[in-house]
Amino acid sequence: MRRLLAQAAVIQSACDLDLLVFLYRHPRALLTSEQLAVFVGYPLKDIAKALNTLIEAGLLGRMAQHSGHAARMFLLLLDGPQGGGVKTLLELASRRQGRQGILEAMDGRTSGQNQSSAAPSLKLVKWA
Amino acid sequence: MPESDLVQTGIKGFDEILSGGIPRGNVILVEGAIGCGKTTMGVEFIYRGASQFGEPGIIVLFEVSPDKIVRDARGFGWDLRELERTERLRIVFTTREVLRQELQQADSVLLEEAAKIGARRIFVDGIARLMPSNDAIETRSGFHVFTEGLQRENLTAFLAIEASSYTMGQNGSLPEESIADTVIRLRMEENQRAVTRSLEIVKSRGQSYQMGTHTFRIIEGQGLQVYRRVQAPRSSQRDRAAAYDPTTRISTGIPGLDELTNGGYFLGSTTVVAGISGVGKSVMGLQYIAEGARRGERSLMLSLDEQEEQIIRNAASIGIDLCREIDRGMIRIEYEPPQEIEVDVHFHHIERLVQEFKPRRVLIDSLSTYGSSLGAEGRIFRDFFHGLVALMKEHQIAAVYNHENPEMLGMTSMMGGFALSSLVDNIFLMNWIELNDTFRLGLTIAKMRANAISRTTHEVEIQNGRGMQVLPRELRVPKERHPFSAYAGLVSRAPERRRLGDRTETKDTWRDPSRS
Repeated sequence: MRRLLAQAAVIQSACDLDLLVFLYRHPRALLTSEQLAVFVGYPLKDIAKALNTLIEAGLLGRMAQHSGHAARMFLLLLDGPQGGGVKTLLELASRRQGRQGILEAMDGRTSGQNQSSAAPSLKLVKWA
Repeated sequence: MPESDLVQTGIKGFDEILSGGIPRGNVILVEGAIGCGKTTMGVEFIYRGASQFGEPGIIVLFEVSPDKIVRDARGFGWDLRELERTERLRIVFTTREVLRQELQQADSVLLEEAAKIGARRIFVDGIARLMPSNDAIETRSGFHVFTEGLQRENLTAFLAIEASSYTMGQNGSLPEESIADTVIRLRMEENQRAVTRSLEIVKSRGQSYQMGTHTFRIIEGQGLQVYRRVQAPRSSQRDRAAAYDPTTRISTGIPGLDELTNGGYFLGSTTVVAGISGVGKSVMGLQYIAEGARRGERSLMLSLDEQEEQIIRNAASIGIDLCREIDRGMIRIEYEPPQEIEVDVHFHHIERLVQEFKPRRVLIDSLSTYGSSLGAEGRIFRDFFHGLVALMKEHQIAAVYNHENPEMLGMTSMMGGFALSSLVDNIFLMNWIELNDTFRLGLTIAKMRANAISRTTHEVEIQNGRGMQVLPRELRVPKERHPFSAYAGLVSRAPERRRLGDRTETKDTWRDPSRS
């Protein structure tokens, strides 16, 4: 888990993870940002931030907006250098227990970063 | 219509019903209740187009997530991910609202996606409630705008719509039906406690097609298979089948019977052997196919009553080595349990067997089991039998059908409740006759088209290891046992010994051995 999370350092929040999981199941989605927020279940501003993060990381493509179109085509890009690790992580996150484990591991990573370098690294999570 | 103007669906059996395919550019509406198979059909339409006909496609989904579609398709052996990877397929997830807006825009993002891969086909899964209105006229005009958008890109559109008795209008149709060029209705039909799937082409502009309700199945590892309804007209060849070879005869394989039938059955003829269970119909049939094998003619046995192993064992008891003939490719036995026969599927199977195996003789055991399975009273059984007779005649096959007549002693009708005798060329009655304290077996040829036959009842016997033979009318018999010619009224329930003077009136005079 720790190794996987290290490969997917771009995933910083639960919203990033859930948005990626949604796009993993819907790799080519023609939606408005508002609809995306409803499907994923986060406020629009969180989704907008997550979208920008993932696009910058090269995990997501977003077609330029046409005038008069509210919807945009979102395309998951897992063929890049980060793709392999993210894919495995998303496989795990597609199940409830897996998602929970990843979120707990992410919490541990955050708290680890906040503590001194002598502090223990990621919290180990029992994986069924 | 030139073939290139037709879009082949690639769905097994479906293009035959559609006279080769659907006119390119048609908007195809596929309607049916939940679980009918609309999505599977739509995905197969796109998959076959992209993988077999070089026509990339787009799948548009609203409620089902693409990963489930990809997973389910894998179960049929369709690798959608590979098609996506090679730019032959796009699976787009969107909402109805977005799609409606998209197709009203000249620079639609969706159609741009279609253009990028040169898509020729599009499948939209679940267009019900695409228009926000409940008003039929508004729905119709909204749908019209939607289809115009699809046609701008010259896409052949396959649109699945959920329809049940609740969503249909008063006239049993959807508002979208009048705009669509092709309407295909899928159904799940309850039959006793079984459920069968069927489809009907309600309309299809610009082409001819086979009307009526056809059966289809969703087959694991394969996809859809459509089975043309048994009543639908086949090739024109079959209609001309009456002009079969009028002279060639096929030996019956029963010693003594060829003499009674002027040499056997005609090629392409239909023979029914009727009699109660245990009277020897199957024995007669086994000898018929074994004789074929002996003469180098392929024989096919279709059994609903007994499985292959049991048939092989029974044949061995009368000295016939069926295994050897099966191994030699001269005999083929096909068993199908009769409980849940789907008539279109079963008929398709027989058609394929006949076309591939090319038998000269066919034995069907038994007609009465078809009757009890399909319902002897209704049209389906009669239509099935009619189709079977036509198929056999087209392929110049001499077919023998065993038929269980329920009467143990005597016969008051040839085929009981099965009103089929007009379709049959030959009818042989096998009948138990009780004389003194013994059941003896009689055979009467009740009907034989184009044959001058004697309708005299002949005694037949079946011996272990030797099978059936027709006994001569003149027999050396012990005093206490008289040959059949000594009796009158053998097919009635109460045969009587002839008076001495009567014996001279028949051709087959009985000679009392005690007097010779």
